[in-house]
Amino acid sequence: MDTAELEKKVIRFITEKVENANALTITGASKFEELGLDSMDTIQLLFDAEDAFGISFEGEETKGFRSVGDIIDYISKHPPESKR
Amino acid sequence: MRIVVTGMGVVSPIGTGIDQFWNAAIRGTSGISGIQCFDASGLRSRIAGQITEFNPAIFLTAKQLEQTDRFAQLALCAAIQALADAGSMENYEPRRLAVSLGSGMGGFSTFESSAARKFQNKSMPPFTVPRIMANSAAAWIATKYGFKGTNLTCSTACSSGANAIGMGLDLLRTGKADAVVAGGTEACVLPLTIAGFEALHALSTGFNTDPAHASRPFAQRRDGFVIGEGAGILVLEKEEQAQQRGAKIYAQIAGYGCACDAAHIVAPDMNGQVAAMQAAIEDAGIAPDQVDYINAHATSTPLGDVIETKAIKQLFGVHAEEISISATKSMIGHTIGASAAIGSIATIMTLHTGMIHPTINLDEADPECDLDYTPNHAVQRQVQAGMCNAFGFGGNNASIVFTIP
Repeated sequence: MDTAELEKKVIRFITEKVENANALTITGASKFEELGLDSMDTIQLLFDAEDAFGISFEGEETKGFRSVGDIIDYISKHPPESKR
Repeated sequence: MRIVVTGMGVVSPIGTGIDQFWNAAIRGTSGISGIQCFDASGLRSRIAGQITEFNPAIFLTAKQLEQTDRFAQLALCAAIQALADAGSMENYEPRRLAVSLGSGMGGFSTFESSAARKFQNKSMPPFTVPRIMANSAAAWIATKYGFKGTNLTCSTACSSGANAIGMGLDLLRTGKADAVVAGGTEACVLPLTIAGFEALHALSTGFNTDPAHASRPFAQRRDGFVIGEGAGILVLEKEEQAQQRGAKIYAQIAGYGCACDAAHIVAPDMNGQVAAMQAAIEDAGIAPDQVDYINAHATSTPLGDVIETKAIKQLFGVHAEEISISATKSMIGHTIGASAAIGSIATIMTLHTGMIHPTINLDEADPECDLDYTPNHAVQRQVQAGMCNAFGFGGNNASIVFTIP
C-alpha cells in the first residue's frame, strides 16, 4: 500500500469514528483535539485502528501521537506483515 | 410520609416496555430459549432468558456504545422508559435527583471478553474498567439526565434490585432526595458466568431440548434455575410532591426489609427469609394478613422453592393459604440483580390492574410446595398489598411491600 492510499484509508477510518465528521476537513495534519477527540477518545481510536488495520501499537510510542499523520506514519513504518 | 411509584420501565426476555411485558406475563409466555449469543455447546445448561431484539444504537451514540457494557445499556433503556412515563423532573433541583441501582455481576460481558483478549495476548479495550465497574449503569443514567444527587449501586447478588429499591425508599424518607430512579439490571448470559453457576449445580440442565419448560418454580422435575438478563427501573417520589406536579401514581412503596442469614454463603435459610418479609411488613405498618399477593423469589431450584414456601407458611400461618403467589422467573428465568426490580414491576402491575400473572409450567406441583402459586393461568383479584421477595447468595434476603395508595 503506498502512502497516499494509506492516508486515504486512515482518513476514511477516522471519518467514521469522529462525531460531526461532515463539518470537518480531515487531513494528515489534523490534530486529534481539532477533531473533537479528547485523550480518552484518542486512546479508543488507536485501539479501534489496531483491528481496522491489522496492526499492534507497541510500547509507549502512541503517547506522543497528536495528529492523524502520526497514525499514518506509524502504519507505514510498521505495516501489518511486520506485526510482532 | 408516603413514597409512591410514578414511572416504570422494563427490558425483559418477554418484552420491552411495561405494556408488552405485562401482556406477555398475563398470557403466561415463556421467554426461555436456546442460547444464541455465543456457542454454548460446551455447557451443560444451554438455555437462557435472552433479550433477542435489543438495539442500543437507537438511544446511544457510537462513542457511548463503545463505553458501555450491555448491563448498563439495558438499564439505560429501562430508565428512559421510566422517566418518560414519570414525566418531567424539572420541578426538582438536579442535586435532589438520585439514582439507586442494583447489579449482581456488573459489566461481566466486558470482563469476559476483555479477559479472553488478554489471554490471547491482544490489546486491552481502553474502556474495559469503566464498562465493568458495577456503578457504571447508575452513572450513565445520571449523566444522561443530569441527576446530580446521591448515586448508589448495590451488589447483593440476586437481591441487588430489591435492596437498591429499598435504598431508594430510604433516601426519600430521610430527606436526602426528592426523586429516585431505582431498580436493577443484569446481562450475564455469558460462558464464564454460566459455567460458574453450573459448577455450583445451580442451573437447569435437563431441559436443553425443551427450554420453555425449564424454568418451573414449585413444580415436579424442576432441576435448577435458568439464567436470564434484563432490567427494571422505577421512579420513586414523595406522594405530595408527585401530586403537586400532577404525576400519575401506580402504587405506594410502603415497606422494605433486609436480613442476612449469616449462615452459609449460598444455601438458603428459612429464618432469614422470614425475618426479611416480617421487617418489610412491619416497615409498611400493615398486619401480615393484609398481604394478599407475593411475587416469590422462586428460582426453580429444588431446595429454594421449598424453603420459600416454608418461610411464607411460618410467617403468615393459616393466612398463607389465602395469599396469591406467582413466580415471574417461570417466564423470564433468573435475571439475578434485575430480578427483584422486574418482580417489583409485576407486583405493582398486579395492584394497578387487578390481575395476577401465572406461574407457568406448574402442572404438577411438588408436594412440599402446597400454596396457591397461580398455576398456568392469570387470575383476576383486587390486591391491596403485594410483596416482592428476593433472596440472594451471601444469605442476603430482601422484601418490599407495595400497596394501593
